[in-house]
Formats: sequence, C-alpha cells, structure tokens
Amino acid sequence: MDSKPLVLAALMVLAASFASYRFFLRLRPMFSAPGIDRLDHIGERLWGLVPNVLLHRRLLMIRYSGILHAMIFSSFIVLFTAIIQAFGSGLIPGFSLAPVGGNSVIALLQDVFAVVILVGVGMAFYNRFVIKPARFKGSNNKDATIILLLITSVVVSMLLEFAFHIAAGNEPSAAWRPLSSAIAKLLVALGFDGERAAEAAHILYWVHVSVILGFLTYIPGSKHLHMFAAIPNIFLRNIGPKGQSRTPDPKAAHIGLSDVRELDWKGMLDLYSCTECGRCQAACPAYAAGLPLSPKILIMNLRDALIGEETAPARPAGAPAAGSNLEALVGSVISEQTLWACTTCRACMDVCPLHIEHVPKIVDMRRHMVEAGHVTPGIQDAMASFQQYGNSFKKPARMRAKWTSGLDFKIKDARKEEVDILWFVGDYASYDPRVQRITQTVARLLRKAGVDFGILYDAEQNSGNDVRRVGDEGLFQTLSEHNIEALAGCSFKRIMTTDPHSLNALRQEYPAQGTSYEVIHYTQLLLELLREGRIEKAANGKVTGVVTYHDPCYLGRYNNGFEPPRQIFAELGYQLHEMGRCRENSFCCGAGGGRIWQDDTGVTERPSENRIREALALGDATIFAVACPKDLVMYTAAVQSLAVEDKIQVKDIAELFA
Amino acid sequence: MHIVTVVRLVPDLLEEIQVNEQGTDIDREWIGVKLCEFDDHALEESVLIKEATGATVTAVGIAVEGMDRVLQSAVARGADRAVKIDCGEANPDSRALAKLLCEALAQLKPDLILAGVQTPEDLFGQLVPFLGALMGRPHASGVTGAQVEGNAVVIQQEYGAGRAARLKLALPAVLGVQSASQPPRYVSGTKLRQAIQGTKIETLSAAASAGNNGAVKEMRRPSRGQGAEMIDGEAEAVAGKIFDALVARGLVGGK
Ligand code: SF4
Ligand code: SF4
Repeated sequence: MDSKPLVLAALMVLAASFASYRFFLRLRPMFSAPGIDRLDHIGERLWGLVPNVLLHRRLLMIRYSGILHAMIFSSFIVLFTAIIQAFGSGLIPGFSLAPVGGNSVIALLQDVFAVVILVGVGMAFYNRFVIKPARFKGSNNKDATIILLLITSVVVSMLLEFAFHIAAGNEPSAAWRPLSSAIAKLLVALGFDGERAAEAAHILYWVHVSVILGFLTYIPGSKHLHMFAAIPNIFLRNIGPKGQSRTPDPKAAHIGLSDVRELDWKGMLDLYSCTECGRCQAACPAYAAGLPLSPKILIMNLRDALIGEETAPARPAGAPAAGSNLEALVGSVISEQTLWACTTCRACMDVCPLHIEHVPKIVDMRRHMVEAGHVTPGIQDAMASFQQYGNSFKKPARMRAKWTSGLDFKIKDARKEEVDILWFVGDYASYDPRVQRITQTVARLLRKAGVDFGILYDAEQNSGNDVRRVGDEGLFQTLSEHNIEALAGCSFKRIMTTDPHSLNALRQEYPAQGTSYEVIHYTQLLLELLREGRIEKAANGKVTGVVTYHDPCYLGRYNNGFEPPRQIFAELGYQLHEMGRCRENSFCCGAGGGRIWQDDTGVTERPSENRIREALALGDATIFAVACPKDLVMYTAAVQSLAVEDKIQVKDIAELFA
Repeated sequence: MHIVTVVRLVPDLLEEIQVNEQGTDIDREWIGVKLCEFDDHALEESVLIKEATGATVTAVGIAVEGMDRVLQSAVARGADRAVKIDCGEANPDSRALAKLLCEALAQLKPDLILAGVQTPEDLFGQLVPFLGALMGRPHASGVTGAQVEGNAVVIQQEYGAGRAARLKLALPAVLGVQSASQPPRYVSGTKLRQAIQGTKIETLSAAASAGNNGAVKEMRRPSRGQGAEMIDGEAEAVAGKIFDALVARGLVGGK
C-alpha cells in the first residue's frame, strides 16, 4: 500500500495543529474582548469589498505597490487550485481537477500566474531593497523578506514539480503548460528524463507541500496574518458616521483605554490586520512634523503589547505591567507625547487599505490620560478656560458677539426671533481678532444676499468637537448640553457655520444626544446663493491670481465637503491650481484634535509651513484659499514665519467675493 | 488627620472692573467671580497631603453665589467634604472672615488649616495671621510646600535671592500657601460632572461680628500717569537720552 496519503495526512495534521495553536495564541484575547456591533448592514459591508478588495482602490493610490500587490493577490487565488490539486491528489489517490479543466484551462492559468506572481514578488523585492520607500521605516523587514522567499519557494517548487512530471512524460496537462514545458525541455537536456525525472518530481512534491505547510505555520506570527484578517477586517469596518466619536460605555468601570486588553474585538482585529505598509505613516502630519507619532508604529506597538500580554504570566486587566510602576499601556507601550501629537486629521484612516481605525484608539487612550489628570499644560489651560467660560480664549460670554459691533447693521438674536439660518459662529470666528474680520465679511455677504439669519449671542459656547478629541468626555457633554439647550429655544430651518469643527460636532456628534439639525457649511450656503443669483457672480477685483485651496480635515475627510469650495472658485471665475495633496489626501494644518492649544515642542517642521511650501512649489498660485477659521490663523502665521507674504496670500473664501 | 482648606471667590480680573455708583467698592453686579488662585494652590497642597497621609480634606467657603460650584470642583479635585458657612455676609474682609472661620472651625476641629496666602482683595495676606492669632495657634505665610510629620507640619518658605527655609510648626497650625508643591492638577469634565451631581454641601452657620472694621470712604480708578515719552534715533543717542532722563530724576548718580 502507498504510504503517501498517510504521511501527508500526518504532516497536515501536525502543521494544522501547530498553526491553529499559533492562531489561537493570537486570537485568544479577542474571545474575551468587549463587544462592538459590526454585523449590521451586511449588504453594504459586502458591497464595500468590491472597491477595497477586488479593485484595490486604496492600494493603487501608490501605483507601483498597488500593482505588485494585485499581481500577487490574484495569483494566490489562481494558484490555490494548484494547492488543492497537490493536497487532493496526495490524500485521495485518483483525485484530479481534470473534470473542471485541471489539465487544460486551469493548467494554463497556473502557468501564466506563476509568472505573474514571480514578477510581482520580484517587484516587491526591488521595492524593499532598492526603492526603499520611507514609509517602510520602522516596519519589520526580516518578516517581509521571509514571506517573499517563502512565496518564491512555493511557486518555484510547484513549477519544478510540473516540469519534472512533463520531463518524465507522465503529465497529462503538458500541452497547456508552456512555462513548465520549457523548463522540462531544459531538464531533459540536463539528463533528467524517464525514471530520474519521475523521482525528482516525487521529491519536489514533498518539498512543495512542506513549504506550503511551513508557510501556514509561519503566518500567524507574521504581519502576513493579514492574508486571513484583511478581508474580515474590511468587512467589519466602521460604516457609521465618520465624525461621531464612540460614547464610552456608561457601565464600564472607568473611561478610556488603560489596557490593551480592553480594546474591543474589532480593535484587536485591526492590530492583527496591519501589514506595516506605512501608508498611514507617510500621510501623518504629526510624523512629518518630527513628532514622536507614527500611526503605523502605534498599531504595531499595540499589537506587540497584546501578543506580549498573551504570552506573559496572567495579571488582572488594568494592573501595571510586571517590572514597571508605569501604567500598563499609556506611558509604557505608548508614550503620552505620542498621544498628544495626533491632530485627529484622519489621514491615516483614509489611506489604510485595511480600514484600520487609529483615531478612536488614540482618543480612547487620551480619555484615560485626561481622567487620570495627565494633560499637557496647554491642554490644561484650554480645558480650564472651557470649564470656566465655555471658550478657549478666556473671554466672558458677553464678549462673544463683540465682533458684530464692527457692522453697520444689527444681527438678529436667534433666541428672540425666528430665523431661516441660525449661524453657529464658533470660538475662533468670534474671538480671534485675526478671524473676526472674516466673520464680518461673511455677515455682510449674507446681508447683501438677503439671507434671514441670526446668532445665539452669548448663549453659544464652544461646540466641544476638539474637546471630545482631546479626550474630555465630561466637558464635551457639558458643552454640548449647553448648546443643545440654547438651540432648543430657537426657531430656525438650518444651522450654518464657517467652522468645520463646529460643523462636525453639530452634524455628527450631537445627533447621538437626540438632535436632528440640518447643518451646512458656509461654502455650501454661499454656493447656493451664487446659483440662485442672490450674490453677484463676480470676483473680488482686489484679489487676483491663481488660487490653490486647502481642504480642512473636518470639512473634507470628515464631512465630504470637497465640492462647494471648488464650485465657488469656478462660479467666481478664479483659476484653481490644486496641490498634489488635495481632497481625501489633504495635509492637515496641524491645529486639529487639540494641537492648537499645545506648543511646538519637538516639531522640526510645522505642518502648516510644509503645506505653504507645497503651495509655493506649484509655481503660479498666489492665493492660498481656506475655508476654516483655524486654517486662516495657522496659515497666516506660516506665511509670516516663512517670510513669503509677497509670494502668496492666505484668503478666506468669503474674501474672494466681490 | 483633618485638613480644612479655605476657598474664596475673587473678581475675575479678565473682565473690566468698574467702580460702583457710590464710589465705595467695585461694581460686583456684573463682574464674574472665580476661585482665588492661591486658594487653588492651598487646595492642591491639601490634597497632596491627603494622598501622602490619608488625611480627610474639607473645603470651606462663605455661602455666596457661585460658592456651590467652587466647593463641588474642590470635591472633584480630591476634597472629601464641602462646607459652606452661612453668615449673611456676602463679602467679609479678612478680619471678619477670620472671626467667622474661627467660630465655624470650632465645630470642624481641624488639625491643619490651609488658605491662599493672599487674594486680590487681601493684598497683605491678613487672613492667615488673623486666624492664627484668633485660634491661638502657630501660623506661617508664603508657604511653598508642606509635609505632615507626626504631630507637626514641615513647611518650605522661599525668600529673595535664592534663600529658602524649612520650618516645623506644631499642629494644629494655619498656613498661607503661596504655591503648592506641584501645579494644581487637572480635573476632567467627567469628574466635575460627577461632583456637581453627587456632592452634598453641608452648611454651618456663624454669627460672629467682626466689630468695627472701618468702611471704605472712597474708591476710584488709579489716575493716569503723564504718558510715555518716545525716544527714537540711533542707539547711542537713545542711550544718552535715557541716561540724561535718569539723572534728571535723580535715579542714577550724575557727575
Ligand atoms: S489622525 Fe492624522 S495626526 Fe493622527 S495619527 Fe492619523 S494621520 Fe497622524
Ligand atoms: S495601519 Fe494600515 S496603512 Fe498603516 S501600516 Fe498598517 S496597514 Fe498600512
């Protein structure tokens, strides 16, 4: 009796048990992890696999890597048939894929894709060792190399096995295997034919299956776990509102993430899915600024900590790690400076091919720091000001509408009169002297267009958007409740704001507390007015030149407000020259997520200055248009510190109207 | 060990201060109030001692508008009890406050009393010495750190020119805190909300009259100076003019 099936079965059982054990070690924490609802809207989730998996949409944003990945990925699917064939025929004598084309079409495909995958792997080697993109910095190069070598071995052993079979003259699919046949010719020329070839084929069979089984056992400990985790992770992605933070579980013992084992199971799956591709790192403004934050390394560190937890002796969740008197997670695995560096710009999440969610994890760890009283002096100062005055400017509420005294008309008090548009002005637009001028310009434009609008005067407080991202949930609740109560006493049709941060809070955060306002950005309202002919379609005669436009994170990535600003430029007749990093790829000014209240310690290049340099490199843009009060402040300062006022001017969109 | 930390509300100087119609006080009708910064440090130091020794901290203030909120935030910061003194007076001066506190403290029996070293309305920092004298207990002001050791408290005081002192006072004692050993901690909005919802504020009444403290006859804004003289020109010429001006005012030696 042929012992092949028994030996193979034994090998398979051995490898499968070892691999399962390794998988189990990795996945064990997920079984006891807190829950999160990610099985709703199955149809939408499945549909999302088309662009994200089949079409490689995000991967192809870096063309070279996207193509090589597509080559390897598609080959894996095709060559899986060869794996079935190898194990099937080994276990069940007489097993063959011939009835479904195993000796014809499938054979041809296998040969063709063997070439495709080898070229893809070659490109990957070239990428890793010759091109060496900066985004790989910090990734595990050894692991990646081992994987590439393993793939090469699987494919080469497969090809050689077929070639030896052909050389031995007993391969029924020979006519459909051009590459294997060519190799076979060479082998015959080298003296491998008949018995010798058949013997070699036999040896290569065992090499081939051993390499495959070795690969299987290697994967669980490798970043190539993504081969199994990626599709589920993309399927289980967040499809809820992008700008809505997670509300902490009121039943939880404490607020925030203090131990990696408190991550929900999807958060853990995120960690296992990361391929260390570094796209997030390359997009991160904090990383570019020289701050100690790389979203990739953050995910890798969390993953390693989670794996380390599983192999370390048991200790109760939340207890400090052995041998350290630091906190288990924040302060040891992830440093406080790392967490405070994030602008919550979402660039990392929008480029990650695996839809890994970095920002919620960062905010959750910040919540833990905030509750423990560990904040930077700048944050403490700003938060104390919010607690006392409802704004970060340490200004009394009565001063909030002081900017209106520069107008020659009175703005309706929305608390007393019905209005069409309730203008939620926001802190920077109200209090910052550099922005007040723009706020007045917007008021005059609305007045000229005959818009029926009003403001909340001193009843408005900061929307709490950035407070929530700093991690102070309680303060966010206090601010939002205050605003919701003030708005409840008013009668209006829509809320308008110039501030993308307020827009996000009112549109995406507040509904979790039962509100349902229609909230629009002023760019949308101004566009409507232009199109209705209520504002003149004329450019400001004093502003001439080519415009480039910066997409604010909270208008663009978070609220999909990419079009109205661009349509305004077109309607007004300005020529727009886009920067390379625009729309979803916009580069944060560096002010979001509470960064604006912190100093520049550790910053080697301010993101805002990096951005102005990008605009200058366009060559012809002389107007740097913005649509966010914080951007006006950040970029005006950047232009001044680069001393390029004569080359480029920062203008709010409202200033571009006649 | 029981620590009482005194909290006082002071005008928020971020806002424009007006003199009232009678010209006897600032106009308190429209002015915002906030916790005195030095009291804030005293509170922090109290909580630090509590963390080191397991003491109980009671925050005490006069029952005026806004005091509840301050007492609640003191609890959020780590105080265990919040007590307000109902005395019918809205803005007692330091001498009157010392008498009121002395009367109320008899019921609280503290081992250590901390208060800010001064307030914008008590620039000479009289509360602590008055209180020490009335209670017949040792007191010290300008404290920049305090540790309890057995039945005594060891304090740090800083003087000018880099000199500092460590003093030991027998308990009970009264301390005027200039700055805590660490900057006042951050209290999250969540803790604040919990304290606002969960703090039970106790009320004590005190009736002590301060006697005749004297009354303010007139208060007015400081009169403006003569305006600045702008000197421009070459650096050397400017230096010469500054020198001449200083000599003319007798501020430097002349020839
Ligand atoms: S949100 Fe922005 S700043 Fe924060 S880690 Fe992601 S890319 Fe970096
Ligand atoms: S988190 Fe996503 S983008 Fe970043 S390295 Fe991992 S897979 Fe790549």
